[in-house]
Formats: sequence, C-alpha cells, structure tokens
Amino acid sequence: MTQLQRDRTFTSSGVSGTLKIVLHDVSGTLIRALGTIERRGYDYRDVHCTQRVDGDFDLLVHIEDVGGPRNLDTLCRQLERLYNVVSAEKVGRRKRAERA
Amino acid sequence: MNQPLSTITELESIHTDREPKSGAQLLLESIEAQGVDTVFGYPGGAIMPVYDVLPRTGLRHILCRHEQGCGMAAIGYARATGRTGTAFATSGPGATNFVTAIADAFLDSVPVVFVTGQVPTDLMGTDAFQEVDIFGITLPIVKHSYIARDPADLPGMVEEAYFIAAEGRPGPVLIDLPKDVANAVTTDRHKWRPYPKIKPATVRSSHISGAESMIRAARKPLFYIGGGIGQGDGVQEFRDLVERTGIPVVSTLKGLGSLPNDHPHYLGMLGMHGLKAANYAVQECDLLIVAGARFDDRATGKLDTFAPDARVIHVDVDRAEINKLRKADLYLDGSLKKNLAALTPGRADCGDWRELCHARRTQYEWDYQSAQDAVAPGIYAPKLLYDLSRKVPESAIITCDVGQHQMWVAQHCYFDDPRDHITSGGLGTMGFGLPAALGAKIGASHRTVITVSGDGSFMMNIQELATLFRYDVPVKIVLLDNSALGMVRQWQEVFFDKNFSEVNLDDNPDFARVAQAFQIEGFSIRTRDEVEAGIDRLLAAEGPILMHVKIDPNENVWPLVPPGRSNADMMER
Repeated sequence: MTQLQRDRTFTSSGVSGTLKIVLHDVSGTLIRALGTIERRGYDYRDVHCTQRVDGDFDLLVHIEDVGGPRNLDTLCRQLERLYNVVSAEKVGRRKRAERA
Repeated sequence: MNQPLSTITELESIHTDREPKSGAQLLLESIEAQGVDTVFGYPGGAIMPVYDVLPRTGLRHILCRHEQGCGMAAIGYARATGRTGTAFATSGPGATNFVTAIADAFLDSVPVVFVTGQVPTDLMGTDAFQEVDIFGITLPIVKHSYIARDPADLPGMVEEAYFIAAEGRPGPVLIDLPKDVANAVTTDRHKWRPYPKIKPATVRSSHISGAESMIRAARKPLFYIGGGIGQGDGVQEFRDLVERTGIPVVSTLKGLGSLPNDHPHYLGMLGMHGLKAANYAVQECDLLIVAGARFDDRATGKLDTFAPDARVIHVDVDRAEINKLRKADLYLDGSLKKNLAALTPGRADCGDWRELCHARRTQYEWDYQSAQDAVAPGIYAPKLLYDLSRKVPESAIITCDVGQHQMWVAQHCYFDDPRDHITSGGLGTMGFGLPAALGAKIGASHRTVITVSGDGSFMMNIQELATLFRYDVPVKIVLLDNSALGMVRQWQEVFFDKNFSEVNLDDNPDFARVAQAFQIEGFSIRTRDEVEAGIDRLLAAEGPILMHVKIDPNENVWPLVPPGRSNADMMER
C-alpha cells in the first residue's frame, strides 16, 4: 500500500470513500481510471492494485473530494463509462479490511 | 451503430485474408470496410506511409489547410450526416493541432475517429523530432484511444474504434500509429473479440410506469430537451410524445430543431441567453422531464435555483449523467428513442399551465421592427438572421462560430431538425463555423450550407477559404463584423464597468477582398436597404461566397442571465 503525498491547496468537503475498480489488463486503462478520478474532482490517498486469476486487475483507491462536494455514485458511473473498466463500486470499511 | 457498413464479406475479408500487407494498408482498408468514403487530413513526416497508400484506395481525401480545420470539418461532416467522421494528421504539431477538435467532439458527443502518425516505436519516449504523447495529452477528451503497436491489430482496432465512436453516447476515438507499425508488413491478423461491455438498450417498464404516474400527477409539467434527442435518433418519438401529452417544451442550444420553432408547444431556448417564456416556465414548473440534456451551467444558471419546485424525470443514454448535477426523482437510462416511444401517459392535465406558457410566448415574442427602430441606424443583425433563415430552403444547414452571432443564430434562425444547426455548444470553439460548414457541405452536398461567423472567430480558421476554393465547395458565409470581440466586449460593458480591454478589432482586413484573394466571391453590405439584395445574392450564388455585414459594435445579446445568478434574473436592454 502506497501512502501518497498530495497537493493540499484545496481542502476536502468531507466526501471520501474507497472504490473498488475492476480493470481489463489493457495498456492505458490504469492511468485512464486514475486520471478520471482526479479530473472529476477527487484526490486519491491510497492506491492498491492486484492482478486476479482471470487476468483482470482489482484496483482499490481511497479518495476524497477537493473543491466541493461530489457524488461518489456519479464517479462510479463515470469510471464504468471507460472502456476496459469492468466495474466500479464503493466499498465499505469492513469489506476493505476483509480484503486487506 | 449509425455507420453504414460495407458488406459483411468485405469486413470478414479484412480479418481473414493473409496477404502480406503493411500497417498503413491495413489501416486504410479497415477504414474503408467501415463504409467510410471521405477523410479530412493533412500529411506530414510520421504519417507518410499512410499517405503513400492513400491514392490506391477509394477514400476521398480533403486536404484542409490546418489540422484543426481537418478535425472540425470531420465534426461538421459527422453532425450533418449522422455518420462517423474521420480525420488524419501527423505526429507532434499535427497531432496537437487536433486537440481542440477532439475536445469539441468530446463535449458535443460527436463520433469522429482521429488518426495521428507517431514517431517509430523505438524512438517513442526519447523526445524525438515531432514526438508528442498525443495518447496522454488527449486522455481526458476522448471516448477511447489506442496506440497501435502491431500492424496485425489494426483491422480489429479500427473496427472497434468506429463502433465505440458511434455507440451509445457518441464521441471521439483516437488511433495513434507509429511510423514503423505503419510500414511493417505482416500476414497476421489478430482476432479482436467484439467489445463485451455493450449491452442492448432496455426499457425498464417499472420506471416507465413510474414516469407516467408522475406526468399524470403534474399540473405544470415541462420538457427540457437537449442534443441527445437528435443524436439518439429520437426526434420523431419526441414529437409524438409532445403531441400525445401536450406538455410545453424548452430546449438547450444543442436541442434546437428537435421541435420546430413554430410548434405551438415550443417556448424557445432556455438559459443564459434564453427566451423569457422558456426561463419563466422552467422556474415555475412542478415536473421537469429532462431528455438528452445534462444540466449544463449555461442552461441552468445558478443550479440550486433552477426549477426549484420541480420533481425531475431524467431520460438519457448516459447513466453517468443521471444525478450528476441535479438529483432525479426517476430516471430512464438506455435508449432515449425507445424510452420516449414507451412513454404513454395520455394527455397531461395541465390546460391552465399550457395556456399560461402560450400567453407568455406571445407576450415575449420578438418584435423585430421595434427592436430595430430602437437601435443605431445600421444593419440590425437579429433581423438579418431572421430574414435570412426564412428565405433559405427548408433543408438548409446553418453552422456558426462562437460569440454574439452564435446566440443570435440560436435566437432568431428557424430550425426544424437538430441536424440543421451545427454549433460548438460544449467547448465554445471560435473558428469552428467555417471548417464545420466545409465538412457539412461535403457530407450533405444536396443541402444548402450557410455559416454565420463573427469577425473574431472567422480569423481563427480563415485559411479554410482555400479549401472551399480548392474543392469548389459552395458554402455561403455570412460574416457579421462589429470590429470587436463582441461577446467579451458585452461582458466588459455589463459586468466590468465598461473597462474595455483587448476587444477592439477595428483594424480588421477588408473581408470581401480577403475572400477575393482566395478566389471566392465576396461583397460587403453596410446599410439596411442593402440587406434584402445581399441575402438574395448570397443564396443565388452557385459557388462559395462571402457576405461581409458591417454591424454596430454596441449591439448586445439580450436577454442575459448574469453568471452565477438564477435564470429568473434576466437582464434586458
């Protein structure tokens, strides 16, 4: 797990959570997903990526919004709109702990 | 998928033939197999292998004079025809000149496949001559993108690129093609599975019945429609729904033409430069049925004051737009066309509301004569546009640039099909109008194509006059010249205490003579009594023609909702 040091120019309005994103193993997909998170108004604090037995990747990202409250469900839909993103969903702390 | 395909046999042969072919050959054959017949492009070093093969294909190549012109012509072509546009450029500056066009296509959901040359694979990442990471640069503004690393991938990649560009909510797709991949010869054809993510559009019957209940319960229902009606091929279904329900309609800039301007239930464009009848209706409605629109800030004004008493039904093909800015009480995702056709709530019980809306529409109807009498004695642009659009053939297409003239076109020109109006709505790209008109006319050669521009915008892609001449494309240009960056000047006048800063363009060239220098007919009009003859001359011309219209720099666009304010706070002259 990597702890990221991010620009703190903008403060969070308090919307935060962990997303589980399933990605196909296709060049560019990871950066496309992470870029979408930033461009849609979030900062990511933790990023954890593991390959599954079927070859896809599980990407766990802990994020918080910057510059105004945002809707995490909308972000999930925006991520799912990307080609080679199989799914994106919010996961609860317990679920995340189980996975860890 | 709206791209007409060549025969299945041709498509299959692309994937199954084992002739040794270069990447460039495979690219162009695969593009042709998608039914593409026209490409807008500009050659250069890294894409030379493609241009080496191009003359041996059946593709018609339109050589524009700037890559931005190529990209915007491809957008105009796509928007006029409903087919996917195609544009080529080389690496480095050729590719970066595409960026504005790609962003424009992204924000207005236009299907275009952009192909860029790239430096050879072994030089990528070395800061080679004309190397730029166009894949990385365009990540935020493409629907999807590829770097081709193996020529054997190209048939599948191209097929998927055209599919993705056109399916669902359309958008731009980029293929970046390194020179060595374009040159490499292969007998292989890698299999690409059809993309598994695309699901057949479904209509949720429970949501339909819920929406029908909400419509039946409403006393002040209102349709708020956008570009998704036309792009989702739902115009007829929407018109049928309006007839079935009798519900009044307001439209965004991109939705214009989805209902004819003179339809009895149509109240006009809403938003920053919307009509009063439309904005008042939004503020007072109790049910907002949003179809193919996305609560853009230019349409909504201050969002939390927008339709404050309304419940919301949101109909959109893109699930990511639902609840993005305004929470929907109920949504219908999937095919907009099918959802609109499935809605059968019966006649809405809103007679008083309908009458109020109609009365307001009459009350706030434009009075061109009074408005013209109230302004300076020169040519009054809104009336000129009104007169023009009523003289043009019914099937005419009007493109425009960005600024005051863009809003005047939206307010005063007549549209009865969304494909008749091609404007840069999302990105607001100055310089869009001329190349978009070029592409529209090439794609829809049987239709009259007019572009309305301003003196600021026109200079941004003026080089495409040479393309009009080269291919003898009879686009009709109306250039409204107020010797200023008019919309910026208006905002400085209204919101910046008349502190006019860098908006004066009174050293413009003689535009009629500029057109003549490009071997295009050009003339100027300066007085009201020249307008009628000027329009007649414009419309009668057989070749490309430019009518330069001198207008008053002090004329502004009204009404105007100040930024950050409610749509109820419309300013007037």
